[in-house]
Amino acid sequence: MERLTDFMLPTLWLLLRALVPVLALYVVWRSYTSFKKGQRRRDPVIMLWEETSGARFPVLYWENSIGRSKSCDICLPDATVSRDHAVLMRREEGWVVCDTGSQSGTRVNGREIEGQKLLSIGDSITMGDVTLTMRNADSPLEKRRRVFKGFSAEAASPLKLMAAASLVHLLMALQACFADGAFVLIQAAPTLIAMVMGWGLYVYSIGIQHRVSFEIETTAYLLSGIGITLLAAFDIEGVRTQLVAMFIGILLFCFMIWFMNDLDRVSRFRIYIGAAAILLFALNLLIGQENHGAKNWIKLGPLSLQPSELIKIAFVFVGTSTLDRLQTKKNITEFLIFTGICVGFLVLMHDLGTAAIFFACFLIIAFMRSGSVRTIALILSGAAFGVFLVLQMLPYIADRFAGWGHVWEHINDNLGFQQTRVLTYMASGGLFGLGTGQGGLGASGVFAADSDLVFGMLCEEQGLLLGLIVLMAIALFIFYARSDVTRSRSTFFSIGACAVAGMLLFQTCLNVFGATDVLPLTGVTLPFISAGGSSMMSVWGLMAFLKASDERTYAARRAGRRQARGGRGPSDPPPRRPGPGHMRPPPPRRDDMEDISS
Amino acid sequence: MKTVGFRSIVLYILLAVFLGGVGLMVARQLLYGRQWAMQPYNMNLTGQMGDIKDRNGNILARSEDGERLYSDDGTVRLALLHTIGDTAGYIGTGVQSVMGDRLTGYNFVTGLNETILTGLTSGLDLTVDQYACTAAYSAMGGHDGAAILYNYETGDILCKVSAPTFDPAFVPEDIETNGAYKGAYLDNTLSGTFTPGSIFKVVTAAAAMEAWPDSWSTRTYDCWGSENIGGSDITCLNGEAHGTLDMYGAMGHSCNIYFAHLANDLGSEALQKKAEELGFNANLQFGDVTVAKSSIDLSGANANQLGWAAVGQYTVLANPYHMMALMGAVAQGGTCKEPPRLTAGGDALSKVIKPGRMMSPDTAANLKSLLRSDVENYYGDWLFPQGMNVCAKTGTGEVGEGIAPNCWMVGFCDSAQYPYAFAVVVEEGSGGIETAGVVVSAMLQALA
Repeated sequence: MERLTDFMLPTLWLLLRALVPVLALYVVWRSYTSFKKGQRRRDPVIMLWEETSGARFPVLYWENSIGRSKSCDICLPDATVSRDHAVLMRREEGWVVCDTGSQSGTRVNGREIEGQKLLSIGDSITMGDVTLTMRNADSPLEKRRRVFKGFSAEAASPLKLMAAASLVHLLMALQACFADGAFVLIQAAPTLIAMVMGWGLYVYSIGIQHRVSFEIETTAYLLSGIGITLLAAFDIEGVRTQLVAMFIGILLFCFMIWFMNDLDRVSRFRIYIGAAAILLFALNLLIGQENHGAKNWIKLGPLSLQPSELIKIAFVFVGTSTLDRLQTKKNITEFLIFTGICVGFLVLMHDLGTAAIFFACFLIIAFMRSGSVRTIALILSGAAFGVFLVLQMLPYIADRFAGWGHVWEHINDNLGFQQTRVLTYMASGGLFGLGTGQGGLGASGVFAADSDLVFGMLCEEQGLLLGLIVLMAIALFIFYARSDVTRSRSTFFSIGACAVAGMLLFQTCLNVFGATDVLPLTGVTLPFISAGGSSMMSVWGLMAFLKASDERTYAARRAGRRQARGGRGPSDPPPRRPGPGHMRPPPPRRDDMEDISS
Repeated sequence: MKTVGFRSIVLYILLAVFLGGVGLMVARQLLYGRQWAMQPYNMNLTGQMGDIKDRNGNILARSEDGERLYSDDGTVRLALLHTIGDTAGYIGTGVQSVMGDRLTGYNFVTGLNETILTGLTSGLDLTVDQYACTAAYSAMGGHDGAAILYNYETGDILCKVSAPTFDPAFVPEDIETNGAYKGAYLDNTLSGTFTPGSIFKVVTAAAAMEAWPDSWSTRTYDCWGSENIGGSDITCLNGEAHGTLDMYGAMGHSCNIYFAHLANDLGSEALQKKAEELGFNANLQFGDVTVAKSSIDLSGANANQLGWAAVGQYTVLANPYHMMALMGAVAQGGTCKEPPRLTAGGDALSKVIKPGRMMSPDTAANLKSLLRSDVENYYGDWLFPQGMNVCAKTGTGEVGEGIAPNCWMVGFCDSAQYPYAFAVVVEEGSGGIETAGVVVSAMLQALA
């Protein structure tokens, strides 16, 4: 009986810890399903009529390629039309058309166009012998039935999801407060500060900007809070950096969303962003500090910065592109050279993990832009040759990977020391963990326990389940990006979002699989979780690409502005209303979506 | 945009790689998590293990406030170190290492968390008797070696002692540098092998019994203390001439020349074959622990080498655990019926050593009478507690110049009341009876 009571308290704590992954899973999964629920249906936004034959072409996207090629969004099977003839795009000012290097040129209302030409309803566009007239879409198409509704027909309210995410953090922080038996309130301080920042962003986004969706931010907040609470229990002093970085990261996130609102502005700045990235790399190489084998730090007084983390953002900016530019400038040489420079710098700094991340991101962008498997194969074989050369010149790099797959034969030397510790402590944690601040991985002083090996720490203290849910949250960014890919306002956002989602998942693979001996260990961070201010900042910045890819991000802004002006402008046609009996999410969500059709 | 959208499926390649990696990671943890968690450096292990008790309920190890504590009796700590294991986990064959998962209540779901369930199940009752162990340890008189004894009816190991040893409660600071602790992490009963000397004559005798079932007992050879066989001399202990001997006399006097001739008449193949049937060159399993192999290799041995091998010299090596099990088989008519075990249940240290028959019941009965005759007519029953009816063979394995021999005694009690089989080896001793015999005597006294 005495033994029974002895084990009662630990068992209760265990049950409490088991709640954490359940709640976290709820937040992660419902964020995604709610995100999907709030999306516009794939109805045509305007129509193009060919008056002579009576053919009607629905315009489905914000950017539409027109041409003879089957891969075009609007395919005109006429010999006089070029393969990729023109692009019809929705911009802030209205619908515009521009020629993409066609043989016969493009005419609007009979006049040859140069550059972008603003259109209004009723205008005719002539390409070769085909003339299309722009018309409003009449009636919504039949509602498509989804077989799988994500366990729930309704979208969850952002408030509820944020509250659940905060509860996850509080439950984790509570364990940290009781880690040494007695209650220590200060342990919860970093969690509470992160919470203030998360809710601050919520108020700004929903209350001031009137955005209708907050799912991506909720997931990012959930992950950041988990990371900060975990690290606070490991090193309460060091977590300050993490908090400051999260704050700057959120500011960067908001700034970038504003910045990307105007695509002209983005294309004007692209060249400067690219140049700044290269300069920063050069500066890093010149005045950088070496830290554990990689010269990837710049120290400016009390500040220390890992430039490569911020350059990730610039890299996506340089790589992605709007559809008109994609159709006119088909080769990726320029971007290839830029990648070569970036990866070259990283190899010189001996930061191979980050170099691999840049390269993976490049492959995704290159494929999405060119679609050419041959080009990718060529680049890959070139890269393989490059890796071969690097290994020939720097043989000690290969030695670092010698322990891969044999870590248990190297328990006490540096080929397997870190990985075996991670595996041992991960297994110790079981599915629900030993509790925040109770881990042996942190306490045993294994090098990089809070950064490269943080997944082991997460699993030991919070359990394998929460570890897997964190991974799932990061993997789901791919689905966020994919579901926006044809709905976003431009291929610029589509490619950017996919590149970011792929980059983060690749980085996660390197971190998690490196620490657990599925892959060789490379020193990269786990997004949102690992200690590292630059990493935290950059990952929030990268979130902006995912957020900007969601058309609602900007739709709500305009709706809000218009309301402030007192209703819709006179030139706007009346919005299309969904049919009666149609289940719709709470306003203003659906109405905001309509403004693409105006 | 359609095309760009379509191309985004390239992300699914990455996703597939990711899912594959996660699957592999989780599957590995499911399969090997137990071993991973039981690493000695794991800081979560210490102080989480349940109580370990001996067969009479004496606490051998327990946890208090996150610390691992051992018996209050210093001699018990020294004698049972290798059976229980040390806190740091260097003794890989100890219960705390081999059954660490059971002692901590580890499982895939709750990991090393303490729960109501682990609180109730993490204790472990061993079959050993702490008094028999301390008696054996003390009788070894500070020498290195091994002593192991089990009940061949039930399989319970009652005594298991290995030396050199150290105190797990106060680990010596110079353990890595001091020569006295060399090999202290090794359990000699399971992981040690020693030159067997004359105890190997039991094997040679068994081979002869099966080669000549009708005539082995009447076969005689002459001994003059020393004889040139195969180009060099085979000598008896102290050059003593035993005259004309049959098997009983040869076993009693432990005559080397008799067995050297016997082996040469048998041939190396027959001796090799019988030794392997008796468990030499076999990988014995003691639960999850692989026992060090007793070994013999007579290929290419000349007549002299075969002669020396027949008396347990040459390159022959024997493991104490194996010798004990072999004696258990002789006691039970040729089969080791209940394999030795350290715990009562179906645990990691209670599995079968090697199934099957080692020798015919006739051979077993003949060996039993030979070994009984040794004690009755040569060593003296007064050595052992009354009524134990001990059957045994001593041995002095010569290990090289200037070093005193390994002194052995292996045997069993042919008694329903005391069904014990044992093997004792003491390094650098003075003689089989004088050095190993007293250890056997001490163990049996403690169990009487």
